[in-house]
Amino acid sequence: MGKLSPTLARTLLVVALLALWEVFTRLSSVSAILIAPPSAIIMQMVQILVRTSNVPDFYANARLTIAEILVAYGLAAVAGVLTGIAVASSKVIGDAFEPILLVLYAVPKIILYPVIVLMIGTGPATKILFGIFVGIFVIIFNTAAGLRQVEPNYLRLAHSLGYGSAKIFFKVELPAAAQTILAGLRLGFGYTIIGVLTGELLLVNAGLGYLIDWASVNYYTAQLYALIIITLAIGVVANYIVGHIERRWVRG
Amino acid sequence: MPIIEVTGVSKTYHDAASDRVVRTLDKVSIAAEENDFLILLGPSGCGKSTLLNIVAGLVPSDPDGGRVLVAGKPVTGPNPKLMAYMFQDPVLYPWRTVLKNVEFGLEAQDVDRAERRQRALKYLRLVGLEEFADAYPRQLSGGMAQRVALCRALALETEIILMDEPFAALDEQSRILLGDELVSIWRQVRRTIVFVTHSLTEAVYLGQRIAVFTARPGRIKLDIANDLPRPRAIGTAEFNQMVDRVWQQLKAESQAAAASGTKAARDEILLPEE
Repeated sequence: MGKLSPTLARTLLVVALLALWEVFTRLSSVSAILIAPPSAIIMQMVQILVRTSNVPDFYANARLTIAEILVAYGLAAVAGVLTGIAVASSKVIGDAFEPILLVLYAVPKIILYPVIVLMIGTGPATKILFGIFVGIFVIIFNTAAGLRQVEPNYLRLAHSLGYGSAKIFFKVELPAAAQTILAGLRLGFGYTIIGVLTGELLLVNAGLGYLIDWASVNYYTAQLYALIIITLAIGVVANYIVGHIERRWVRG
Repeated sequence: MPIIEVTGVSKTYHDAASDRVVRTLDKVSIAAEENDFLILLGPSGCGKSTLLNIVAGLVPSDPDGGRVLVAGKPVTGPNPKLMAYMFQDPVLYPWRTVLKNVEFGLEAQDVDRAERRQRALKYLRLVGLEEFADAYPRQLSGGMAQRVALCRALALETEIILMDEPFAALDEQSRILLGDELVSIWRQVRRTIVFVTHSLTEAVYLGQRIAVFTARPGRIKLDIANDLPRPRAIGTAEFNQMVDRVWQQLKAESQAAAASGTKAARDEILLPEE
């Protein structure tokens, strides 16, 4: 046997665990309602994707969730970066508003969820707003921190070369802070997904979160696992895309 | 007519840490002729960097009648068409390539793309870094990074180059080598250089004129011509004589600076309030 690469080792571990899981669920007396074997889960995933499963309206629900995530993230990213710039741009604004933001950030967001539902109902807007609420703070704080940490010498140099403050902002401060801002945008993306899915699991009327809840309360265990894996896969792919964009930007 | 003319310039600032008013420059007058290589030498904290920053237009002097004229006009702010400024640190932007860093100063002046590139490459060639044009700053050694910073200053092709301890952070070999390069470039392109340092050897090795500062508050104690023939060599009898002569003046000031207790703060400059 040749050298063991990390990828190979990881693959072997996953395959071994899946095999163990499969064998365990086949041989043990634990009910299939509690633990579904991997083979059944994989079958379900295929059936869901080709619409032969009993999962209702998978594509419509998945589209809704993805749309909610994209809208929530788009708004959180724009509003978060702009707020971060405002907070970092002036000491007065920073000192005035940062304590409020920090309190909001520290509060477990979930306890405010009933308030949002009361205010704007049970439609997609609620889930979007909650997604923004969960995702925006890390974007704000990273943007502000990134801008504040720009080396003073970077600004002095541009100043000595005759650059005005607007040009300094776009040519020096933003690129210098880009790495921290993009890290915030990436973390914020993950948090926004969590926010939207949490909202769906709580509201239980539409979206992937709703389907997951539906599978759970109806004891469709294989469907439940399959839906969770599909949701995770969407998150992983989206995260990969965001990470890819981040790396391109940082290099350029 | 001198190209730089400083008359009776003072600088005081409020030190927030000790809540005291500190006077770093006290009615300083000094002038530089065209093609001068003027060294500002003094103990740390004497205000020599502050004076350089005032000349550069990066900090204002006290409004008490002092005057700074560059090319006959009062200084009101940075004037990168007339003066290039070089920091102690290279201050290269890590997201820009070496070439783009050198071009950065020209971008502010709307020099067109082709011309920017050509000028940047010309000076990179001059310091032997042409092949690093597309490298990023993190791939450079300290000496190479400072060469790039020198290129960025030279590429502006200004009459005047102001340098604030530009080689202080380098090891001694790089320091001497870069000093040699600077002198040879200065002799080729004929610019006026004002060079701040606290190194006696560096001052005598490079300078055409040496102005020695007193301890804080800084005044000019001695302003002498250094006409040692070039190329100079450290350690020859005449070199040592010159070092001795300057040291006699500098010694008392260094002792005074050391005795004034508090470790003299580096003359930081601040951006003007916006």
